[in-house]
Amino acid sequence: MKALGIDIGSLTTKVVILDNGTTLSATVTPSGENAELATREATQQALDEAGLSFDDDLYIVSTGAGGKSISFNRQQRAITTCLARGAFYLHSTTRMLIDMGAESSTIVKINERGRVSDWATHDKCAAGTGLFLQQMAKLMQIPMTEMTELSLKAKAKADISSTCAVFAESEVISHVHRDPPTPKEDIVAGINYSVVSRIKALCKRVGIARDVLVTGGVALNGGLIDILEKELGFSVSVPETPQIVAALGAAILARENIEKGKQ
Amino acid sequence: MTIAPVKNNIQSIIRACRLIMKMNKTRPDARKSEELYYEMLIKYFTRLLNSRKNGDFVAAHTVFFPAEIIYAMGLVPMHTETTTWMISLFTGECADILEAGASLGLASEICTPHRGLAGAFATGTIPYPDAMLWSNMVCDNTAKSGELIMKITKCPGFFLDHPFKNTEHEMKYLVSELGDMVSFLEAESGRKMDWDKLAEIVARTDRQIQLMREINELRQAVPTPFHPQGFLELISVDYLYPGQPEAIEYLETLREELSDMVRQGKGAVQTERFRLMSFFLPPMYLMGFMESISQEYGAVSVTEPFFTYWGEGRLDPGKPLESVARKSYMIPEMRMYGPMDERALDSIVECAKQYKIDGAIYYADVGCRHTCAMIKLFKDTLSNIDVPVLTLDCDVVDPTITSREEVREKLERFFELLEDR
Repeated sequence: MKALGIDIGSLTTKVVILDNGTTLSATVTPSGENAELATREATQQALDEAGLSFDDDLYIVSTGAGGKSISFNRQQRAITTCLARGAFYLHSTTRMLIDMGAESSTIVKINERGRVSDWATHDKCAAGTGLFLQQMAKLMQIPMTEMTELSLKAKAKADISSTCAVFAESEVISHVHRDPPTPKEDIVAGINYSVVSRIKALCKRVGIARDVLVTGGVALNGGLIDILEKELGFSVSVPETPQIVAALGAAILARENIEKGKQ
Repeated sequence: MTIAPVKNNIQSIIRACRLIMKMNKTRPDARKSEELYYEMLIKYFTRLLNSRKNGDFVAAHTVFFPAEIIYAMGLVPMHTETTTWMISLFTGECADILEAGASLGLASEICTPHRGLAGAFATGTIPYPDAMLWSNMVCDNTAKSGELIMKITKCPGFFLDHPFKNTEHEMKYLVSELGDMVSFLEAESGRKMDWDKLAEIVARTDRQIQLMREINELRQAVPTPFHPQGFLELISVDYLYPGQPEAIEYLETLREELSDMVRQGKGAVQTERFRLMSFFLPPMYLMGFMESISQEYGAVSVTEPFFTYWGEGRLDPGKPLESVARKSYMIPEMRMYGPMDERALDSIVECAKQYKIDGAIYYADVGCRHTCAMIKLFKDTLSNIDVPVLTLDCDVVDPTITSREEVREKLERFFELLEDR
């Protein structure tokens, strides 16, 4: 039986297929309006990559914002549990995970057995999330992929409010239209810094603990990671594909269930 | 500015309680104490509703206020904060009164039981009091709320200056303050204090506290016999009926019911999986949901250090006013709202051990500075003894702060964390 983990996020759906500790496939595809249909397609793609099909013996565990909205899973688990399992599997020394997704950021404190000991979520405002960064990049007419390079080149950081995404947008506009305009690099660094300050406050809520693993799509923003490390005062780890950690954790839970003979 | 009157919120509470009683008659597992509880609520609010017609003198008072004095003088008490959260509990929402509170200029950051209360008075959806009694026993909101209610309802008021610390000197001062309050009420209501009656009430309050302690002991049983959010009944009885025969009857009945259940090894939920400690009040508008999710996951609040965990000490009916003053320092809430020291933290640890808790839920009421200021301290204290804490950002009466879905998701994550440990 193959263990399959699906993390249905608000922007992307991640699927990981495990077989005896080997990752057969890991995919990231856009989430659709019809969660059932889009997730089925995403799963089909992952199955195709692994040379499998829905007719094979699969144990599916789902998680994420849309984790409850599909009918073909065997179990649905909390995102925090999945993130902890995935992070611990990748680096067993991880004691704190910072997951920065499209619509929310979650800090998970992990114990020495890879279990969640505490967590905190920032989900009341877009500030501090991937969507906020996307919106800012759009506003500045730069591709998201350039944010890393620009941020790393910054000589200073523009002051951007970290309290509200909407107000932050007005501040970015005022920096762009200033005479002379604030350098693009400094604005991007300021945007990244505003996200980091939110994340750091959230980390403090549960108590900062090392080692730290950063996951979620925002972890691909190297400029932000650089600022995060400076603010925390130590290095953090970022997995090769940071978006798939929750799906990986769900797959690990599926594997645990297979081993326990759970239906 | 004009605020249009809407509905009568007191009538709504009474109607809802009657409906619950009717529905309970069809439930084979309904407790006798539950029936007594709703009868008490109906009686309390009916007396308030008919106060004008009956020529009664209504004394509104803020939370933790010594209502024993009001009862001893034959006046009708009106517990202000409880009235607001009961509107939310029984009608499901407070949007109209919160909006009316906002129209008075009260910012959204102001504690909603106080903001809603001001709105309810302003819209005339709850009866005006004849006098307002308030104190500094809790927070600045409470202290300012009294002044605002006096302004809205144009009634006289008395501010009870409750000393922060509990020394002999300060106790004397508090007793003199209570004496002044009695004089104020006598002058305003034209009724004399019945000291013998106050002594009787104090004797019953002492009994009430003893019964609460016995009930708490029964709640230590595994599985626990009292229902998941049962503590709300206990605090309501203490807030609304201090030293009243109805409270004694309710508590004695409940104690017997819980004793029976403990003897039979019966729990409040079918399969008890998570024994919880609760800090502060859950969202009232979600109580039905909170009860059902508790049943679904086998999660029960077994202890509430700052609501139901009474400290040591007895009351002396021979010294009624001194006893009322003493009680104000004995109430569980004062471990936190008074001069907070090790007593608060020690009680958390004691409760965690005595009640064998698996986790704690901290209802972080966004409008309550006092509550939210303690989160880290209490969380760290429990973390030191390996007890996880869920901080649930919410509001006790305002449903726009946290939705049912958010609460469900966070509770499910927390239950999963507890299970996975």
